Amino acid sequence: MFNTARRLLVGGLVALAGGAIATVGLGAQAPGVKITDPTSVVMIVNRDSNDIGFMDIKTEKMIGRVFLGNNVNPHMVMMSPDGRYVVTGGTRANKAYVIDVRTLQLVKTIPVDIAPEHLSFSPDSRWYYQGNPDGDSISVIDMVSLTKIKTIPGFVEPLNVTFLPDGSKAYVGNYGAHWVGVVDVRRHELLKKIQVAAVPGVAKLDPDKYLGEIKGINIAALSNDGKLLYAADGDLGVVGVIDPIEDKVIKVIRVGRDPWRIYMNHDGKYAITPNNGDETISIIDLKTNKVAATLEAGPDMTGVNYAAGKAFVISSTSGMVYVYDMNSLKPAGRIKIGTNIQLETATTDTKEEKLYLADSTENSVVVIDAKTNTFTKIGNVGLYPWGTHIMESKDNYCH
Amino acid sequence: MQKYRRLIGRVLVGCAIALLASVVSPPVARAQGQPQMPGMPGMPATPPNVGNVLGTVTKASGGAVAGATVIATNTTNGSQYSASTGDDGQYSLPSMLVGTYDVSVLLGGFKPFKRAAVVVGTNTATQVDAALEPGDTESERQALLDRIEVLEKRLSDIETTAVLSDPETRVKRIEVYVDPNGVQTDEPVPGAKLEVTYQRERVYRRQTINEKIEEALADADDQSVRLGVDATTVAQGAGRTKGGEAFPNKKAYALASADLFFAAKLAQYTSFFADVVALSGAPPDREIPSLTLLNGYTARLVNQNELNLREAWLRTEFFGQRLALTAGRLDLTNYFDRNAAANDETTQFLSDALVNNQMLGLAVNGTGVVAEYDPKNAFNFRFGVQQSNPDASNLSDSMYSLAEVGYTATPFSLPEGHYRVWFRANNGEVDSKQAVGISLDQKLSPFVTLFGRYGTQKLPGDRDHYASAGLGFSNGMVFNPLDTWGIGYAQMDLATGDKERLTEGYYNFQLTDRLRLSFMLQHVLDSPGVESKFGYLLPGIRLQAAF
Repeated sequence: MFNTARRLLVGGLVALAGGAIATVGLGAQAPGVKITDPTSVVMIVNRDSNDIGFMDIKTEKMIGRVFLGNNVNPHMVMMSPDGRYVVTGGTRANKAYVIDVRTLQLVKTIPVDIAPEHLSFSPDSRWYYQGNPDGDSISVIDMVSLTKIKTIPGFVEPLNVTFLPDGSKAYVGNYGAHWVGVVDVRRHELLKKIQVAAVPGVAKLDPDKYLGEIKGINIAALSNDGKLLYAADGDLGVVGVIDPIEDKVIKVIRVGRDPWRIYMNHDGKYAITPNNGDETISIIDLKTNKVAATLEAGPDMTGVNYAAGKAFVISSTSGMVYVYDMNSLKPAGRIKIGTNIQLETATTDTKEEKLYLADSTENSVVVIDAKTNTFTKIGNVGLYPWGTHIMESKDNYCH
Repeated sequence: MQKYRRLIGRVLVGCAIALLASVVSPPVARAQGQPQMPGMPGMPATPPNVGNVLGTVTKASGGAVAGATVIATNTTNGSQYSASTGDDGQYSLPSMLVGTYDVSVLLGGFKPFKRAAVVVGTNTATQVDAALEPGDTESERQALLDRIEVLEKRLSDIETTAVLSDPETRVKRIEVYVDPNGVQTDEPVPGAKLEVTYQRERVYRRQTINEKIEEALADADDQSVRLGVDATTVAQGAGRTKGGEAFPNKKAYALASADLFFAAKLAQYTSFFADVVALSGAPPDREIPSLTLLNGYTARLVNQNELNLREAWLRTEFFGQRLALTAGRLDLTNYFDRNAAANDETTQFLSDALVNNQMLGLAVNGTGVVAEYDPKNAFNFRFGVQQSNPDASNLSDSMYSLAEVGYTATPFSLPEGHYRVWFRANNGEVDSKQAVGISLDQKLSPFVTLFGRYGTQKLPGDRDHYASAGLGFSNGMVFNPLDTWGIGYAQMDLATGDKERLTEGYYNFQLTDRLRLSFMLQHVLDSPGVESKFGYLLPGIRLQAAF
């Protein structure tokens, strides 16, 4: 009796909602196609409601949320380059989750190593490398069989993985060390460790700083032409420029204190490191590999996005987004998103007109118009949204 | 009443959506023992479709088997359920999500029992009985391996769930609509006004113990009064290079300074700061009659070995934190002419002529207020007023005011440069009522910064002039990464005919984040208008601890 009534009620609701809500969960019913264009949605990773939200870019309406399980605590979401799957690592669950984009169905749960966070796909979508910072390893998942085929050990708090455009090698930033790991993607083996810079001799005078906590390399980011990698090191306050042909550091650029990581401008001319140690940003001229400008910024910076000829630097705890003109390399204002809030990371749409910024404490996504610096908030996207992702966006990252 | 209608409506909608989710939700992986959290957005509010597996385990030869482990593994997502048989050999796996499972039974001394593709339907009980064959060596080994696998799985689940899972509460600032009767709604209704209020919200933030501790420490830090110390000792020698015996020669000087800083957050965007300083010792400025101070710390020396309150002010921010107001006892010149390469006697040049524009003309701290408008674009604006004479009986007769416009530029493809122009007015009993000046620090490369200052003040019948310039080096061309050094030149040309030419070079070793050691070499040449010239070479060393 109850089941019959429930089914009737559900049937009615499905009809009323026009399918808008029905994409939240699909299982007992025959799964339908919910997303036909993978580039049409913003993905939102919600840490505390343990789900991945999907928001339509045009309508800015939530079209579905895929629940992953209790205490999963998903960290970063990413769509495979072929647009077929969305994956995330469940930090508390020590598992990777694979969602079918078309049907928004959770199709596979794969045990990985401890505390999976950031991840990356090989350019051909075949390999999904899941970084496990607490396991000091990378889990290699075959996206054809949807199985973990290998765990690559030997890293030190691996945060981010960057594949070369030809997919031959992957570079792993180790936040617990001062070297970048080079992985042979064909054999899934750690080939080499590249030290970006030496620890200064004066470090021995301050053992508390250097032995207490380490802020090493977040990511080795690829230049837009794919020819060089740039790895910022927090403790050393430098960016090491790596030639991936010879796998060696060809230049060390000193930037501000405690650079979080480097973010490439879309035109390939500049890159920015947010320096949380002195609350500045360093703008690096990628042609000369020199710092072109060091500008005042805010506290606890978590990311940089580029749109409309400007750079948008997210200051997490101040609730501000700092704006810089990337032509004149001068500050261009500041957007106050809110008071007593915490901002996380953002993605930029492929037209480079809007930013989608995760506002965790307000359970919202902030949509910033890059031209006008105005914004709107989309509420109730899930609990504690930690990051966003758009397929083919040039600003997909996590923190 | 409207409030309750809305509440009831919400509950109904919530239940309906939860029902919908529960009916159509996919069979997600769920470790045994993890509780569902009804009410969490994105989660079903009622139990999802579940069924049971039960049965009896016996020996093939007859008789119940107690203590056997029964494991059901979901063939789609790998989630597992397990149970042990009782004395009667019976077991039950309740509340399994519907789906297809592989069921196995394990016990030492028996061959593993397996049954594949057991279908669990909604609200159904599926019977799986097992008759265990006596084991051999291989089956014992396999059973052991299977057992290890199960234990590993359980260990993984324990690791997964070892987090603080109590729901937390967090007070949030919310906007609501309140009508004349006091009825509060979330959406606008006719006659209701928008108001800001605060409300507790239950959140499901899952944190590890470490995260909890870090958050608690950060909260405590925010609420406490922060204390800072800056202890500096400066030793200088002075050798006369020009002038007669009337001027001291081959003398040593030392000055010790200790600053205590107190800072506290009082309200949103409002903070308090106080600086208490004590100095003792003999700087060269007591004996060498130069126009400018050879040790910038001398300006702080009021009375030997006495604590003096240098600053005590409140700062608050308005208009999206674009406008900041600071009021209290302060040093107005701290807020103006903030040259990046020559503005700090504690880490950069020691000579006051290379720290302050001498035409700013304020020697004492006093009660005042500063307004800073910084829209975070290339421009910024400052205006401040301060009492210039602490002995004056009223503010209007001793009013010292400064205004400044700053601009950030990147000229000629150079890195950033900061340019400022300021104007000063003083209506106290001073000769110079007005002054104007400029200041710049322009990076020539990532390592080298050019700085310069010029100022002039109006005197009855003539003007005083001051200028300085130099180079600062950082981020490169240094022994240690965070070291800095610089060379500078300053000159004074006063209306009285007095002149001074000063040069200084310094190197600042940043030994640790809290400890610095600097070496300085100064040369000053003064040409007093009516007296004989004199010159000094002053080597110096500065040890600074700041924490």
